[in-house]
Amino acid sequence: MDEQPKVGPTVLGKLVLFLFVLACIGGAAYYFRNLIAPSGRDATGPVNMDEFKKVEAPDAKGITTVTEYKYVPGEKLPPVKGVSAYKWGADKVVNFPINVWIGWLPIVAANGGFSPNPDSIFAKKYGFKVNLKLIDDPVVARDAFAAGESHVLWGTLDMMVLFAPDLMKDSRSAPRVFQQIDWSSGGDGIVVRGAIGSVADLKGKTIVYAQNSPSQYFINNLLLNAGVQPSAVKHKFTATAFEAAAAFVADKSIDACVSWAPDIYNIPEKVKGTRVLTTTAEANKLIADVWAARADFAKDHPEVIKGLVAGIFEGMDRLQDPTQREKAYSWMAEGYGMQADEVRAMANDAHSTNFSENKAFFLNANDPANFERTWKNVTFVYRELGLIDTPVRFDEVMDFGQLQELDKAGSFAHQKDESRASFAPTSYKKISAESPILTQTIRINFYPNSANVYEPQHDENGKPVSNTLYDPSVAATLEKVARLVGQYERAVVAVVGHTDSSMKGKGTRFEDVKALSSDRAEAVKQALVKKYNFDPNKFTVEGKGWDEPANPDDPMNQALNRRVEISVYPPESK
Amino acid sequence: MTTAAPAGGPARKAGSPVVSAPKVGPPAFPPGSAYTGFLRIREPLAAWKSWLLGMLPVLALLAIWVFVTTGAAEERVISPTILPSPAEVIASFPLLWFDRALTRNLAVSFKRVVEGFALAVAVSFPLGVLMGSFTKVKAAFTPLTVFGAYLPIPTLVPLTLSLFGTGELQKVMFLALAFSIYLVPLFVAAVDAVDDTYLKTAYTLGASQSEAVSRVLLPIAWPEIWQAMRLGFGVGWSYILLAEMVDIGSGIGGIIITSQRRGPREHIYLVLAMIVVVAFFTDRLWAGVGRFLFPYREQKA
Repeated sequence: MDEQPKVGPTVLGKLVLFLFVLACIGGAAYYFRNLIAPSGRDATGPVNMDEFKKVEAPDAKGITTVTEYKYVPGEKLPPVKGVSAYKWGADKVVNFPINVWIGWLPIVAANGGFSPNPDSIFAKKYGFKVNLKLIDDPVVARDAFAAGESHVLWGTLDMMVLFAPDLMKDSRSAPRVFQQIDWSSGGDGIVVRGAIGSVADLKGKTIVYAQNSPSQYFINNLLLNAGVQPSAVKHKFTATAFEAAAAFVADKSIDACVSWAPDIYNIPEKVKGTRVLTTTAEANKLIADVWAARADFAKDHPEVIKGLVAGIFEGMDRLQDPTQREKAYSWMAEGYGMQADEVRAMANDAHSTNFSENKAFFLNANDPANFERTWKNVTFVYRELGLIDTPVRFDEVMDFGQLQELDKAGSFAHQKDESRASFAPTSYKKISAESPILTQTIRINFYPNSANVYEPQHDENGKPVSNTLYDPSVAATLEKVARLVGQYERAVVAVVGHTDSSMKGKGTRFEDVKALSSDRAEAVKQALVKKYNFDPNKFTVEGKGWDEPANPDDPMNQALNRRVEISVYPPESK
Repeated sequence: MTTAAPAGGPARKAGSPVVSAPKVGPPAFPPGSAYTGFLRIREPLAAWKSWLLGMLPVLALLAIWVFVTTGAAEERVISPTILPSPAEVIASFPLLWFDRALTRNLAVSFKRVVEGFALAVAVSFPLGVLMGSFTKVKAAFTPLTVFGAYLPIPTLVPLTLSLFGTGELQKVMFLALAFSIYLVPLFVAAVDAVDDTYLKTAYTLGASQSEAVSRVLLPIAWPEIWQAMRLGFGVGWSYILLAEMVDIGSGIGGIIITSQRRGPREHIYLVLAMIVVVAFFTDRLWAGVGRFLFPYREQKA
């Protein structure tokens, strides 16, 4: 026989075996699919809105308007270990990278341009030089900072929240924030397409913005404040704000974009059917621009840090003089490779924060938009979005030591806080003709027939129980409202009270319920004005009686109906 | 097989004596290179040796990495805020695998690269062959390909945005563009490299123009074209970061961009390592299929 008798499976048998093995592998892969290809953590899961209230433990006391922090910064800041790892020569040049942003005008003015300059305030008064370098890409700026190539990191406070955990892995490159440069005031904004009139209208729409940037904080904070779940909006991410604007213009299926000036103002001019929804001119105490120094550098050279802080304040003084200001514009234009006119056009994007405003930001524990509250608010928003796991405490980054020293010396006592908006009394009718940016139902729950925010609990016989609160979370709720109102310094706030409808049709007069609801709104306003020193004229108070149930589908939920609602209206046009 | 043939290889010349017994191991060196030192020109190498030698630089790199990242954060040569240690990188792997869905994102990026590549080949293959065959076509398109080669590709991102939107199409089109710019010159060169002798022979045998292209130029150029595609496929991975800059959320480019902004740094290096692994296996696949399709090419060397 030529051929050996075949041993083993036939062709069909082999095929069946092969298919069987394949099926086994496929089945196993399917069974372990969550192990082989996990779907990842849902970054924008539903946010527990109740948690919004619990950012801080309730703090029932605190009626004063200025409380300075009592601790010494060094007690809370993480200690610096090891040998310092930054570049520092005999020529004493501080490498201070900045981005394209008008907020840096004071330091440009103080430095007399971008390059190290023997005629600068820093060289003449404080004995060191400053090298301002344009590093627009925050990742590059961060890497140069971590490597010790630059001593300073530019950024907004919300960027610092994201950068800090990683930078603090090495105690030497931990960021220390000493000074606020400005509040973004018109520099960041949201452009929408079509019939979107308020933030609440964004529900179900597609929005594009740069991920891990101030844009992300801005929009998600807005959504949360408007009571919209971030997951109810379709988010599209880009790497930079510039690309977000480009994507919005290019792709008609995108309903809104968050970007920066000048794009946010150029788009509505050039693209039909688009308009600016809101900008940081309205939310003008939301995005804080700051600079941070490396911890090892700050520890070794406190005199340089002090010189930087003081020099920047002196730069602000300089800018009061129109000729100095023009000079600063031209220096800045040269440094950025722009035209002086282009730089001048950015002048309204930011509000420089002088010494007195810095004091409020760093030292006043009661300021509704101070460092601590801003930091905690950013941390809250980012943690709810699943972007950070182990947040850094605000006092591990904030260092007000230099400000305190300058305060004692009285060097900048002449810089008064002139930013506080003044309000003329206005009526609810007048402002409510416009559409609000944010409408929020603040549920301070009121005891029947009471307009007392701090109403105690009552026992079965209706007797008040001392040392209790009918609404135990009232302090946290007020804190939340204060933070919201603080973010919109120039906006008008409508406080609208409501009653339940339990006595409807039982002989109760509507005037009486209306009066009770007005009293409730007034009580919330007074509580806010007292604790946070808001301008009373910022608020308009209205009582709606029982006309508007909290939930139209459940109008008889009376505990829910006894409430106050807050709406933020854009500042009245000047 | 005839038993008369000498065992060492084909007979040299009729009448010449069979020289020596077949050598075991490396074949004889050409005259004048009987050098036996450590480094020998075109020395044949056993597979295990080649593997070993290939591993040495990798191990050295790893050793340097360990060296500069050992100790407490403040005592390292390179701070962990710049370069985490290998152990830290490995420790963050579960987070990347589960929380950031590495495999799914890798699959998404791989799909984009494959689609972009397929599209690029569909356009640049006919163009390259035509340019390689017909001088007039070549003259017409050469300036464009030269511009393309000098073009800073990143600047094209906004342009592709306005043309193709922000979705999947834009990413695939951007990659296709990057691939085409790379592939066309290689395809042209592959067809160009075909010796004129073959063409002359074909014409002598009465081949038409189209036959000369389809039955002479192409078949001879195929292995080179395949090689060009094998090299070109890697290019997509170097552009994935740019392609995925918009509509971040899926794909490994997004993971890198996100890790740069909010950490962990470890994931940047892990994703780079993953790209290396993917590159290695896809390259093996290209090589394997190439050996299967063009077995004769291997004998050329």
